[in-house]
Amino acid sequence: MSEALIEVDDLSVSFRSEHGHLLRAVDDVTLRITEGEVLGLVGESGCGKTTIAKCIAGQVAPTSGVVRFEGRELRTKRAAQDRRAIQMVFQDPYSSLNPRMTVRHVLSELLRVHRLVPRADIEARCSELMALVGLPPGALDGLPSQFSGGQRQRIAIARALTVEPRVIIADEPVSALDVSVQATILQLFEDLRSRLGLTVVFISHNLAVVRHLSDRVAVMYLGRIVEQGDRESVFTDPRHPYTRALLASAPRLHQVELVRPTVKGEPPSPIDIPTGCSFHPRCPLAGEICIRDRPRLEQVGANAEHFAACHFRDGTPPPAPEEP
Amino acid sequence: MSAAISPPVGLTEPENEVNRRPSFKSRALHSPTFMSGAILTTTIVALALLAPVIGRYSPVAQDLLHPLAGPSGAHWLGTDELGRDVWSRLLYAGRTDLQVGVLAVLFPFAFGVSIGTVCGYFGGRIDSVVMRIVDVVLAFPFYVLIIALVFVVGVGTHGIYIAFGLTDWVIYARTTRSGTMVARSLDWVAAAEGGGLSRMRVLWRHILPNTITQAVVYVMSDIVLVILAVVTLGYLGLGIQPPAPDWGSMISDGQSFIQTNQWLAAIPGLAVVLTGIGLSLLGDGLADVMRPE
Amino acid sequence: MTPVLEVEGLVVEMRRDRRAFHAVDGVSFALERGGALAIVGESGCGKSLTLRAIMGLLPNRGRLASGRVIVDGVTLPAAARGRGRGHNQQRRMSIVFQDPLSALNPVATVGNQIAEAPRHVLGFGRSASRARALELLRLVGIPDPERRYHAYPHELSGGTRQRVMIAIALSSDPAILLCDEPTTSLDVTIQTQILALLADLRSERGLSLIFVTHDLGVVSQVAERVAVMYTGRFVETGPTADVLAAPRHPYTSGLLAAALDVDSPDREPVAIPGSLPDPLRLTSGCSFHPRCQFATAECVTSDVQLERVGPGHEAACLHSDALSAALAAAEDV
Repeated sequence: MSEALIEVDDLSVSFRSEHGHLLRAVDDVTLRITEGEVLGLVGESGCGKTTIAKCIAGQVAPTSGVVRFEGRELRTKRAAQDRRAIQMVFQDPYSSLNPRMTVRHVLSELLRVHRLVPRADIEARCSELMALVGLPPGALDGLPSQFSGGQRQRIAIARALTVEPRVIIADEPVSALDVSVQATILQLFEDLRSRLGLTVVFISHNLAVVRHLSDRVAVMYLGRIVEQGDRESVFTDPRHPYTRALLASAPRLHQVELVRPTVKGEPPSPIDIPTGCSFHPRCPLAGEICIRDRPRLEQVGANAEHFAACHFRDGTPPPAPEEP
Repeated sequence: MSAAISPPVGLTEPENEVNRRPSFKSRALHSPTFMSGAILTTTIVALALLAPVIGRYSPVAQDLLHPLAGPSGAHWLGTDELGRDVWSRLLYAGRTDLQVGVLAVLFPFAFGVSIGTVCGYFGGRIDSVVMRIVDVVLAFPFYVLIIALVFVVGVGTHGIYIAFGLTDWVIYARTTRSGTMVARSLDWVAAAEGGGLSRMRVLWRHILPNTITQAVVYVMSDIVLVILAVVTLGYLGLGIQPPAPDWGSMISDGQSFIQTNQWLAAIPGLAVVLTGIGLSLLGDGLADVMRPE
Repeated sequence: MTPVLEVEGLVVEMRRDRRAFHAVDGVSFALERGGALAIVGESGCGKSLTLRAIMGLLPNRGRLASGRVIVDGVTLPAAARGRGRGHNQQRRMSIVFQDPLSALNPVATVGNQIAEAPRHVLGFGRSASRARALELLRLVGIPDPERRYHAYPHELSGGTRQRVMIAIALSSDPAILLCDEPTTSLDVTIQTQILALLADLRSERGLSLIFVTHDLGVVSQVAERVAVMYTGRFVETGPTADVLAAPRHPYTSGLLAAALDVDSPDREPVAIPGSLPDPLRLTSGCSFHPRCQFATAECVTSDVQLERVGPGHEAACLHSDALSAALAAAEDV
């Protein structure tokens, strides 16, 4: 079993809202990310996936718990080497680039500050980085306002790659893009991953994208992981009612009938998380035990790679998976 | 069956066209606001700078034989009550007033932008303390302060420099602070910090170029305000002292002759107005031209 | 039976950088009573503007250059549009926007916002409009309506806010509901709820629906007819099942090839080459030809119109047969 590149143990992040309420964005999350894999982190808004990403990347300090990289603990204040190792790509292409800096300036500054290449080679390296993301060297002279959304995302990816990271955390990198452009960026991710051996944490609410790209998947709800496992297990044999609801609701091109909602209501405010299983108010399977006991992430059946946090994970058989 | 043509070369790579942004020069030339402001301001500044050359007399040379003369070949704008050439006085006054205007805003700009940036980025106690000071300063009536200072420091331009230095920086601090606070929450700042760049570097080399444009635009109108203050003080006799000319004192002196020689007060007044318009247009034009989209 | 809504030759002119262009360039369609039409396209194709033009809500930069909107057989005079909802036929249509947070008045309670149309447009009395608002809150599935009546938009969750928007749209008792990406900013499980709500409203009240979206996956659940829009025009229209299963326009098939489907994770998405053209610099002929693998010299010169390619199915392409053949061949591989 390969050593995990990134270990997240009992991570919790809480904020105080302006009225003094405690807001639990991330609640006791434990994750392992192995080198070279793509981990898909799925969930709807407010589930905490972005907060976890920021903790791993060092932007946000955890309230408790620990993030480890190659066995070493990482705090928000970290050495330049460690900072370089984990880079983020953000969702909004229109606010992820400094409007007043040319692409060349952004890339060359990073190369200089970290002394990654000799001064004479900086220009060449910048052109290489552009080529890596499929943009012409002429783009180096441009300001962000001259580029389209898809091009800006490519520039953001180039920026992340400049410091030679080991891990890229992509936070909804294609959600703000048109369909035809999404395809380009997704191809780029796949290409880079195989060429550079990158480890990728891919955060998205879009199940189709996550299923396409990921090796392993973790599903989050209200700050907790409710199901995780290798891609095929989670998608073909979902054991948590929330995962099943997400799958059922995912838009499909050839849907024949209207999908009736299997979960009712909406996620509660993170200030007011329900007792026991936080999903029970909306869950079609909820029973007495669900209100009392918070279920832990436990193995599903005999599959050592598949975990679900549901009292009924081995009980009620899941519906037959959709035929494509 | 018609032959299919393959897509044009270069377009097989999705999305490789990059919009060329027109250069600063091109954008500037196409902005009527900027151009009119620039032309007007440059003309006024040029005239002021060339005062020794195009002013035909010394501004303090009196000619008591020809006081209050109307415009003529010898005196393009006539003479004032002491026979001094109005045109020359106008130009030299412009020199003085513009000079004071520009010098007086330098410190407020530099200090205000710096402290605003620091407050916006770090927040915390520095921010609270500085913002309370800003509130106090803003509450203070400016002219009361200036007159008090004049009594302490004496008449003349020192009072103006000190008074503006003490009070004017707050506007720059405030706007820069909010700009910095907004920028700090944006992804590109997180990306810069995440890339391992030091906070100082991010603050001064990444954030500041974005927030400073607002301050630069404001500087233009601020210069106008200073000139108005100088003029007002000159009018009150507390500013630049005679015989050195300044638009304010020219207006004040010309006031006594308003019924017979209107131009003595009107011409310097017009100069002030035109300078104000020129600088405002330039400021607006700069705002348009410097916007990054 | 007269269609409840007919749109003929809608052209919307927009101004940018002092130049004018047609953001909507000749859109025509008919909506049957109780029917639903989905308009699909990427950003900038003009789909939102089409809805706004029908409602008379164009932004200042835009104007209706030509076209007719006919509701229940009565042509709306151009002057009535954009002039409030006084005109009788105008009231037969309501619109639901994408982002409920910015579309709702932040300083009025949701109850008052729902009661506004009954009171000021339909002429109900105060308590009658309040009763109607409560009824509508119940109808759109908001629990505890008496309490929610007094809530402000920011106090509610995204899904509830969208239900409030739908309630407001229904409050004037329209026959046609225009929806501009109503679920785009919502989570996917909430989207399912809203789509189910819309379907129920359609079947219970005979509402007709126009649903604008960029998401092809949502279309089949919402509408039995779909129109694909590109640079201001419909490039393909037809029954949803037919268009999605056997597209007749290269742009439609391009979109389908680029889209990911959760049930087909191993299919590689294929990007459409090139990029969306700048509307100020459109080429002659078919606006898609620079990106199209089937393009020929004819495509550059002729003004391609929508032509019938099947029952109720039209496509604006000279090579729709070649496309079908290519797709069929790819299928066999």
